[in-house]
Order: sequence, then C-alpha cells, then structure tokens
Amino acid sequence: MTSIRPTLRTVSLLLRPLPRRSHSTTTSRSTSSVSASEVSHFSSLASSWWDPMGPSRVLHLMNPLRHDFIASCLADGPPSPTPSTAGSPANPNTLHYLDVGCGGGIFAESLARTIPLPNSNAESGGTVTRAASITAIDPTTTLIQIARDHARKDPKVSAHLNEGRFRYVNCTLEDVIAQTPNNITQGSNPGGSGLELRRKDGFDVVTLFEVLEHIDSTASISPLSFLTDCLRLLKPGGWLVGSTIARTWPSFLVNQVIAEAPWPIGVVPKGTHEWRKFVNPDELEAWASEGLMRSSDLERDSVMRSGSEALQGMQWKCAGVVYFPGLGWKFVPGSESWGNYFWAVRRGV
Amino acid sequence: MRPISPSVLRPYVCPSCRTARFSKRRFGSKPAPVTDIYDVICVGGGPAGLALLAALRASPATSKLKVALVESQNLDKSRSWKLDPQHFSNRVSSLTPSSVSFLQKIGAWEHLDVARTQPYQAMEVWDGETGSKISFDWSMETSPFEDLRTVATMTENTNLVRALLSRIAASGDENLSIFSESTVSSIENGGSGEADGPDLSAWPVLSVAPTGNSTSSPSRIAARLLVGADGINSPVRRYTDIATEGWDYQRHGVVATLSLADQVPTIFPVGSRTAYQRFLPSLGGPIAVLPLPNNHATLVWSTTVENAAYLKSLSPGAFVAMVNAAFRLGMPDLQYMMRMERPSTSITDLDEDPHESELTWRLQHTPSVPQLPPMVTGVQEGSVASFPLRFRHASTYISPRVALVGDAAHVIHPLAGQGLNLGLGDVASLSSTIEYAVNHGMDIGDILTLERYTADRWATNAKIGGTCDVLHKLYNVPGQGPVAWGRSLGFEIIDRLPFVKGFLMRNANS
Repeated sequence: MTSIRPTLRTVSLLLRPLPRRSHSTTTSRSTSSVSASEVSHFSSLASSWWDPMGPSRVLHLMNPLRHDFIASCLADGPPSPTPSTAGSPANPNTLHYLDVGCGGGIFAESLARTIPLPNSNAESGGTVTRAASITAIDPTTTLIQIARDHARKDPKVSAHLNEGRFRYVNCTLEDVIAQTPNNITQGSNPGGSGLELRRKDGFDVVTLFEVLEHIDSTASISPLSFLTDCLRLLKPGGWLVGSTIARTWPSFLVNQVIAEAPWPIGVVPKGTHEWRKFVNPDELEAWASEGLMRSSDLERDSVMRSGSEALQGMQWKCAGVVYFPGLGWKFVPGSESWGNYFWAVRRGV
Repeated sequence: MRPISPSVLRPYVCPSCRTARFSKRRFGSKPAPVTDIYDVICVGGGPAGLALLAALRASPATSKLKVALVESQNLDKSRSWKLDPQHFSNRVSSLTPSSVSFLQKIGAWEHLDVARTQPYQAMEVWDGETGSKISFDWSMETSPFEDLRTVATMTENTNLVRALLSRIAASGDENLSIFSESTVSSIENGGSGEADGPDLSAWPVLSVAPTGNSTSSPSRIAARLLVGADGINSPVRRYTDIATEGWDYQRHGVVATLSLADQVPTIFPVGSRTAYQRFLPSLGGPIAVLPLPNNHATLVWSTTVENAAYLKSLSPGAFVAMVNAAFRLGMPDLQYMMRMERPSTSITDLDEDPHESELTWRLQHTPSVPQLPPMVTGVQEGSVASFPLRFRHASTYISPRVALVGDAAHVIHPLAGQGLNLGLGDVASLSSTIEYAVNHGMDIGDILTLERYTADRWATNAKIGGTCDVLHKLYNVPGQGPVAWGRSLGFEIIDRLPFVKGFLMRNANS
C-alpha cells in the first residue's frame, strides 16, 4: 500500500471542473465586500488548499497560534454569559463563533474539532477556545465545497456538521447582516435554505483571519465598513479577532518579494497578497473604534449619533508573529509594527 | 531544522507521478462494516506501546481520546509476572534519568517494583586491547556533600511492562480497548461511506482477530492515528511503505543474570554501584556487567555468532570463568580460552572445570587493573540467552495517519544501552505532539501534526544510533594498529577533560 494520503486533489479535479469565473459573477454583488479578482485567485488554489505541503502550508502552520491568541483574548476578557449560553461548570464550552472568510476551512474545521460531542462525557476539562458552535462563511463557492468535502473526512467534524453545531455557508458578510434580528424567525436566507445565519443575541467571537488585506476599497465598501459589519454581529463583551499584515517596507520585502518568489524560496503562491491593501495596527485600531461607534448607531436605529460611550469597555490587543523557515510561526513581541500580526477588539459589556 | 526525509521532498513530486504513486491504494469497493472508530490504535504492547497508552491516559487533554491496543502475546501473563528477590529476568534495560522522569510524570514509576531496580552512579569503560580507560561518574559535577547523581537505573523489562499495564488499568477502562492475544490480519483504507456520513477512505482500517482462532470473524477498527510500536519487522511500517535502512552486525548479544562476590567494602559513597564495560576488539564487541539488587548483575556480551554459540554451550562453571576472564585477561589468552575443548558430560564431575583452572593459572601471570568488577560467582539457571544485533533506521517515522515508535522506527547496537531509552523518548515526544494537537484543534493523524514528532526525534535517534555504530566499528579493529592508538588517545583525552566528559554524560542522558 502506498501512504494513505487524502485524495482530495485528484478526486475534486476529476469530478468538478473549477467554476472559476462563473461563481465570481454570482457572488460579487454591487454591495459586496468581495473582490472578483480575489475570488478567482483563491478558487485557483482550491484543489491544493488542504495539501499539507501545498501552497497553503504557511497558513496551516499559523493555525495553532490563532487558537493561542483567542485563548489569550478570552483570558483577558471573557464574553459575558447570557442565560441561553451560560454553561454548567461541567461544560465550559459555551461560546458561539462566526468565522468570516473561512476559505477552505483551515481555522473553522480546527475550531469545530474542539467542540465536545454531546454524548461525550461532559466532565472533560473543556478546551482553550471554549467553542460550542461555529458558523463559517465564505463567498467563494469552490472553497466552501472543498471545506465541506474535507470536513467529511473526519467523523467527529462530520457529526458536528450533520447536527448543526458546525455550519459552512456560501454567502457574504453582507448577506448575514441583511438578516436583521427581526426577520431571522421568518427564515429569510440568501441561500434559500432557510438557514438562520445571524444569532439573535449576537456571536461571542467573530474571527477574521487573513481577510482584511483582501478587501478592495470602493466607494461603498472599505475595510472600515467591513469591520463595522463584523462588530455589529458581536454580543456585548464579545471579541472580534483577526490577523493581517502591516504595510511596511519589511513586510513588502518579506511578503511580496521573498514569500511570493519562485520555488524554492517562495512559500506563498504569486498574487496572493497586494501590499497596498495591507493594514497597519494603528489604522486598524482607529477603524475598530470608529466601527464600534458606527455599529452602535446602526444597532440602535436612532438618529442620535453615539460617541465615546460606544467605546466604553472596549479592549484592543495586538501581537506580532514571525515565520521562521524550518521552525514555523512564533509570537515575537514588537513585530506587529512591521509584519504579520494578530489583533483583537472587544466590544464593551 | 526538519530533517531531509521523503516527507519533506514529497511536494516536489510532479502531479502525474503522484497519481501513479498512489494508484496502488485500494478504494474499498465493498468494505465490511467498520465496527469502531478509535482516535489512537497502538499495535504492539511492548514497553514503548504501553508507555504511549499510559502517557495518553495520564494527560488531561488526551485522557478522553478513544484508544486501543493490539498485542499478540497474552498480557495477563505480563500482569501477573512475579519472581523472588534472588532471581532476575535476563532482559534488563538501563533507564536514563530522563526516561525515569518521564515514567514518573506519567504516573508509571509508582507502579514499578522499585526494590527490583538498581541505580548506578559510576561507569568504568576500558579498552581490552590497549588498556586505555575512561571513568564516568558525576563526581566532577556534584559537590561532595550532595548525593552522587545516577548514571542510569537498571530495570527488568518485565517489571516495567507490568508497571505500565497497572498504570493503564488504574486510569479506568473508559474509552480504552485492549485486544490481548490478537493479531492484525490486514490493514487497508476504509470506505468512502454514505453520502452524508464520514468519509474513511484515507483512514487505516485494521482487521483484528484473536491469535490461533481463525473461525471467529475479525473486528474491523478504524484509526485516526495508527501507531506502530510493533518491533523491528513492524507490519504497520510495511503497510505504509516507509523504507527502512540498516544492516546486521553479524554479532549476537549474550545475556545472563549473574551473582557476584561480595563487594570489596571500600566503595565510596556507601551503597553506590558501578557498571563495567570492557571492549574486546578481538572477540567482536564489548562485554558489560551492570548491577542489579542483592549483589546480582546482568550481563550483555556482544560477540561474534560463533563465540555466542560457544558461550551458550558451556557449563555454568565454565561460563562464569569465561565472564571473569573477559574482564581480566589479555586478548590472546581470551582467544585461546574461547577455543578450548568443551569437556564432554562424562567428565563434568571433575573437581575443577578446565576453564576455571585455565583462568586461575593465567590470572597469576596477568597484571591487575584497578577498575575490575567483583568476581562473578554464579549464573542463574536458564538465564543465558542471545539475540542478534542489528541496525535499522526508518527513513521517516510518519505517514498520513501513521506514526512509528521504538524498534519499529529504529534498532541500534546495545553497547550504550540506549535502545529502550530512545523508544521512551519517541513516546514522550509523540504524546506531547498529540496533546498539542488536541489543544489546538488539529487532527492528530494529520501530517501537519505528526511532522512535529518526526522533526523532534529523527535526527536525535540518528545521532545516537550512528554514534553507537561508529563505536562498534572502532572497537572491532584488533591489534595495536593506528586505529587502536587513535581510539585510546581519544579515550585518554576525554578522561582527562572533565568538561568534555560532563558534556558527553549530559548528552547521553538528555
């Protein structure tokens, strides 16, 4: 027998010609944050998304640090328990997650794996991310299909998927926002499947990993409006957690020149990043504050503009990470100002 | 750095070649139903496999994993193993302090019969050809007021296996299946399942049947992670097509349990014990006597296949004389005694065995050295045995959903007593890799998880196995030629430089 390597690559290529162009027209609407060129770029990577040695390897290697960073956020400020989610001490996994821009599901699937099965013995210690459910959305049809196919290869994740604790939805963030809390009960859904995307009391954690730097700024859409939408979906005390890359000369050198260089130097497919879309931590913090105020306006539906009271209890976190070839990703304090970094903003209670 | 291994080079295999490589896989067109899905299935219930299970059960993060063990021997016999304090099993391993602390960490040490173990604090190693010597002890590292540090702890493998089994039993039987007296009749990939069910096509599915009972239908169990702790001829390794390189040394290790004369009472500090090893280049390898409790010792004598057969055929008295001679006489004397006529059974009633009288006579004409072990006075009946010495190293320890530990991954020359320690090191590394994966939502069978394990262990094991191999070859050059001169120079230099010696000892124990 040869090794039991996933046959994802060959199977998906044989069965399903990649609909590169067709879906980008169906998914990118005029009011969407989704860029058609980004969608087509990631569609072309779809078949190798889960290949541990493939073009997404660096992304796979970063994934455990996302769990560590979320755990540090939850330790700094636990989302406030609501009656519906307050868990018994036996089950500390009570948090509801929304993963925006889940791609092929690298983070979403790993988080789903930490959700305990209902029949499992509840006295288990719980996991650092304390997840009870996760909804993962992405506008790229191919990637959602890849993600679903891959999830089926793990019986535990597959069970979560079948029983609704874990969901993949092919839609945009705007589609989720369009489901106002009032019409949730009427089952309106862009996909037409009657799925309830938006939680009435909001999500405990919204994640936005390696997404911001892929958003096009147009007249109606900007990273700021995108962040505002994410913050609107948070419950008070909830965390919006993400990662992105600072727009500096070192990051230009590392991400555009070195990382996208041809093999054997490069580790990222060419065309993955566009340096001018990168975001610096101070810009991000300013957008987050502005986004919190705007989202509070939108949620209150009032003509009165909210001011600094929307920022009460806001927390901001930022941690730089550096990729060392052969060693992997490491948290390096201070590196957030010139390279890859994790960031998080907590909505006040 | 990751070692250069096929798993690293794999991404550069072109797609068409890849298709050809993987075309051998079976797609399981009509698979029998899989009865159970486990997180970890360990094939092989030796010290390494049992330690892995015990380690997983001991850590809070991994204690809820559903685990299974498949072992062809009857584990009940190992559980109820018992020997009186004056008798010892002939398979004894020297556990380094890091192995001991790992066993303490997983809660197995407290299940061990510690009265049957023997720590030793010093080691005398010398070259039988040139007489150059090196003494290992921690005296240059520790102050005279603290206890001398342990070099290693002699432990019977049966004692360790029994301790690990009772540690596993103490963790309860929830999520644990032990298939004792069972063999793996086949390993193949699972089926792709129903449209909405899990897809097991990339998961190994084992058919496990009770030994010697071909009538009962085998259980089919699927593994998220299949661990091969199944020894040098590992069926798990063959299933994954992991290549293994190596050679046979054309040497056998002769083992026996010995009883010693009373210690000369001047050993300081009181109660400390010493291990002795003398290289015998003309006879094919070193002889070592390592201490056991109650003035017993275990023998490991690496020698040629013919010499091993000769030693095993000797009467107990002659065998004891040969062991004493091997530590004391010069090479020509030893070679002569190794070819002496064996007395036929009719003349064994003689007052003295010819080997014994030969030794007594020759000792009078041999200058004594200070580092000699106490005289061996007897050999435990039925304890003389031998096993072939081999070197094997798998090209990698992992494959998707498969990991190899212990002898399945590497077999080395026993001259440094590191074999079991390397296996326990593998287990410590693999169990902490699994723990990290569980805490970070990683799939424990995924190559991204397992590559941490092979990166951690492969180079370490290659270094130690390679060192033992070089030492073996160096000490198989007889006579007083340049190699003998060079190796004694090396010995003398190391012996005179405390910091180099300290570095070597820390390295051996890390």
